[in-house]
Amino acid sequence: MGELEIFLQILFWGLYAGCIYILLATGLNLIFGVMKIVNFAHGEFLMVGAYVTATVFALTGLNPYVIILFSMVVLVAIGAAVERFCFRPILGTGKLNEIFLSLGLIYLFQNLAALIWTDKWQSIQSPYASISIPIGPLNVPLDYIIIIVVTAIILAGLHLFLKRSRTGRAMRATSQNRKGAMLVGIDVERMDVFSFSIGCALAAAAGTLWVVSGQVFNPYMGSIPAVKAFAIIILGGLGSIPGAIIGGLIYGVAENGAAFLLGGMWKDAVSFIILIVVLVVRPTGLFGESGE
Amino acid sequence: MDRERLIRYLSLLVIGVAAVLPFVLEANLYLLNVLILMLIFIIFSSSWNLLAYSGQGSLGHAAFFGIGGYASTLIAVQSGLSPYVTIFLGGAIAAGIGVLIGLTCVRLKEWFLAMVTFGFAIIVQAITVSFLASLTGGWDGIASPRLVSSQVPGYILIEYYSILAITAGVILLIYLIFKSKIGMAFLAIRENEIEARVSGVDPVRYKLLAFAISAGLAGVAGALEIHYFGYITPEIYGIDISFWPIIYTILGGLGTIAGPVVGTVVLTILWDGLKVFGLTYERYIIIGAILILSVIFLPKGLVSLPDKIAGWWKRRQKKSPDAGT
Repeated sequence: MGELEIFLQILFWGLYAGCIYILLATGLNLIFGVMKIVNFAHGEFLMVGAYVTATVFALTGLNPYVIILFSMVVLVAIGAAVERFCFRPILGTGKLNEIFLSLGLIYLFQNLAALIWTDKWQSIQSPYASISIPIGPLNVPLDYIIIIVVTAIILAGLHLFLKRSRTGRAMRATSQNRKGAMLVGIDVERMDVFSFSIGCALAAAAGTLWVVSGQVFNPYMGSIPAVKAFAIIILGGLGSIPGAIIGGLIYGVAENGAAFLLGGMWKDAVSFIILIVVLVVRPTGLFGESGE
Repeated sequence: MDRERLIRYLSLLVIGVAAVLPFVLEANLYLLNVLILMLIFIIFSSSWNLLAYSGQGSLGHAAFFGIGGYASTLIAVQSGLSPYVTIFLGGAIAAGIGVLIGLTCVRLKEWFLAMVTFGFAIIVQAITVSFLASLTGGWDGIASPRLVSSQVPGYILIEYYSILAITAGVILLIYLIFKSKIGMAFLAIRENEIEARVSGVDPVRYKLLAFAISAGLAGVAGALEIHYFGYITPEIYGIDISFWPIIYTILGGLGTIAGPVVGTVVLTILWDGLKVFGLTYERYIIIGAILILSVIFLPKGLVSLPDKIAGWWKRRQKKSPDAGT
């Protein structure tokens, strides 16, 4: 393989890895925008989404790209329950309490999953696993292309929902000014539930795309991607959805490049080096509002 | 004043109990092991609590825990110094690196700070297993001299009392810091940085000072653990190691001296108590549920429990018709 091919290969893997980060980061960002909280246990929703898809796939043999919808619906319900019973009572009591609560949720979800599905690494085989399509000098697995397309469709749908629908506009109003939104008659607590549930559904989509790509998964898979998704939204600027998308792509490419050039142990470290450099130069992130 | 005296007697009582505990347990090796690790995590959690006291919540305290462990081990191996000396040298090196990391953090707040500190733990781990692999043994780790040689009779007891003394010293130090002007400055910065600056407190200097002290104490805790285990691997930088001090401190009571101690003791007892029943995953599920419930119903931590019960008792007495008779 020539150098150009290697470069393109890294770029493409980065794009694919970036999709999962983008879905996670967009969800976190939506939740942060409306509720001003960060759920460190967001990766656990990705994990549950992955297991729901894998289980339904094993039971029914349906096309996993169809099961994604079911998985998202399940996570909407779980998300609504977690928002109502865990995050709402501690809303506004301080950042460290949110981290603490998230840690509790992480233990709870990871080990419930381990009880139900054991903690062994598992994988499923997508029906298209053997098909790859030549694009230029590369042989790209069909699954990767579908994953990128599915991500784009989900993001476009979210964009339309936020811009056009009444609920979406109410959510944006809440995220701009919570008190103002209350004054014009928006039920902000309802918006909290909506944003949290949609965020969880996006995590379920990310989990599903993770398993259909043939990657292995276990109950502890979600922690690191979630923290990175969080680093991405800080990199891109808290509350900025374009920032989350660009940050996700940067991370996907940078990680795969670093793993290739410097070795696997730098894969995780490089994302944080980027984050630290960006924050030293611009403490509010790339697309964040300047000044506090 | 009365309350202060009560707390002073209580802490003496706690130290007294800790001192006689090995005899009550008849030097049961397993329980001594649990106690020693508990003491080490009390130091570690207290160090995290000190940094949080200055308004800086770190998510990567394992970085300092690990740096202290590695530095102390390497110095002890290369120079032949006793671990009793090198644990403090390891702490000093962790403090120095803490200041460097603190320099990138002073402008950052809340989530930004949390993520950067989290990132540093991962970066330090990557450096340990790549550039420094020839020194640190890479992923395999290296052997570390024991605090007390295992040839000495009763070495575990000597280790236990040494670590108990260091723990008591650390808590006394933190108590003195909280009482002093430095502690006031930390509080002022945490509550309102601009007002602190108006009253002549330089936030950058004090934030770095908090980083230095906290990282140094975390480094001492890490060095103690490593010399107690007798080996060190890069797993010491693990995410869970960074999470434990947060869990212990907030469960016990954030920003109080007793908080990290109470939280560590209660969770350790619970943790090892549940083990007796042969639970594995269920243990984590129970602890996860306890964390969630405690932050919802007891947001100020276990140390606020007595006040809460007293308040509830008073209210109940007022409500009941035969009150005041």
